[in-house]
Amino acid sequence: MIDLQGYGPRLLEGALVTIELALLSLVVAIFLGLLTASAKMSRSWLLHKIGTLYTTVIRGVPDLVLMLLLFFGGQIGINMVTDWLYDRFGIDIFININEFVAGVITIGLIFGAYMGETFRGAFLAVDSGQIEAGRAYGMSEALMFRRIRFPQMMRHALPGLSNNWMVLLKTTALVSIIGLTDMVRVAAEASKATHEPFTFLIPVAVIYLLIASVSEWIFARLQKRYNVGFGEADEWNN
Amino acid sequence: MVDTPLPLEVRNLKKRFGSNEVLKGLSLQAHQGDVITLIGASGSGKSTFLRCMNLLEQPNEGELIVHGETIRFKETRHGREPADWQQVVNMRAKLSMVFQNFNLWAHMTLLENVIEAPVHVLKKPRKEAIEHGRALLDRVGLLERADYYPMQMSGGQQQRGAIARALAMDPEVMLFDEPTSALDPELVGDVLKVMRDLAKEGRTMIVVTHEMAFAKDVSSQVMYLHQGMVEEAGPPAEVLGNPRSERLKQFLAPKH
Repeated sequence: MIDLQGYGPRLLEGALVTIELALLSLVVAIFLGLLTASAKMSRSWLLHKIGTLYTTVIRGVPDLVLMLLLFFGGQIGINMVTDWLYDRFGIDIFININEFVAGVITIGLIFGAYMGETFRGAFLAVDSGQIEAGRAYGMSEALMFRRIRFPQMMRHALPGLSNNWMVLLKTTALVSIIGLTDMVRVAAEASKATHEPFTFLIPVAVIYLLIASVSEWIFARLQKRYNVGFGEADEWNN
Repeated sequence: MVDTPLPLEVRNLKKRFGSNEVLKGLSLQAHQGDVITLIGASGSGKSTFLRCMNLLEQPNEGELIVHGETIRFKETRHGREPADWQQVVNMRAKLSMVFQNFNLWAHMTLLENVIEAPVHVLKKPRKEAIEHGRALLDRVGLLERADYYPMQMSGGQQQRGAIARALAMDPEVMLFDEPTSALDPELVGDVLKVMRDLAKEGRTMIVVTHEMAFAKDVSSQVMYLHQGMVEEAGPPAEVLGNPRSERLKQFLAPKH
């Protein structure tokens, strides 16, 4: 066995932070992605422009720059507001951006843009006859989204979604830069202290790989589930 | 005698696509139990007319009255639109449509397709909807296919399933948009038989079709459309048996 020199528990804690961060960011990204896709497909000129601006900016600026901008820039912005509140009204509050929350918001924001594109393509791939049947049978837009659009869109979205998730997972390693103690940061600290980088970085690589493998398995199950009714007819004819 | 409202009435309906006027003021009155067939060459506007009746297409002018209730419209910068979408949703639940390409929901089994709108739109108890749904599938000869997905069935089976889905709504009026046009010839008969039975039991139906035998035997009224206008209309014996216009004679002549 590898001797982790007492860093084992901290490394595990770091892994947990990585997983939590990735999952919460995924939730934010999916939510923003659905919103963005809706905005870009909407008839409203303004919503369309906002959606396009968002995806263009996010996709054109490096993740690291966005993260630093949001974390430090965000803190300065909040300080300006609280200072003004104090000067003007004597309200004394102090808000400190939490690294974890900042990480979730930034990664969520970045991947929301990519998810938006994935979802948009997937929604457009749904056969219009399916939607028309929903309309003709008196479904409201909300009901149609829940019962037809979403379940039928997912089989088109899942390959892209799975891809985005894998990249998102690895992007969480960037948060060590804003001071969040994920497993990469723990490993980096331990390597520095012990001068044995492989002892710590190889386990970290293995953990990432493990998470990725479990994810692949889950996505394969989901893909199967959302393909029901669409595969080759021979698959189920008995 | 009690004055019951007509299941469906359309007055002076006009529809434009850009500057091209495809429906030039069409009217129609469907009484309880009427079977009205719309015939005409492709491009005559018959499908568009049908699709305007449940507002899958938005008419630019005209009135739509479903079971005595007039659909309200308003002018927006996107053109004329229904003023109250809830009213449209309620109206559509009363008119169920059978499509040329069936459009059964691909991710649901046949039975799930049949109970979907009754459960989620009409808020019928699930158990009751399943019971009714199974009875309807039995009626169209598909009970043993209840758990199949649409892709596992032939076109004729899908279309009969789609008719069961339409019946599950207990509709005031059934709209059929070329229900047999996408079928292989040997599958057309089964679908037409189901439709003939529906007509016999007094369903109010509006049918866009190329099946002249069906139009002749089953309909109470035939409307022949040409370029968005009614060229001839009346009982089938008159319109199909004794066409007046040269164009309709041409249209009905056996093709070589």
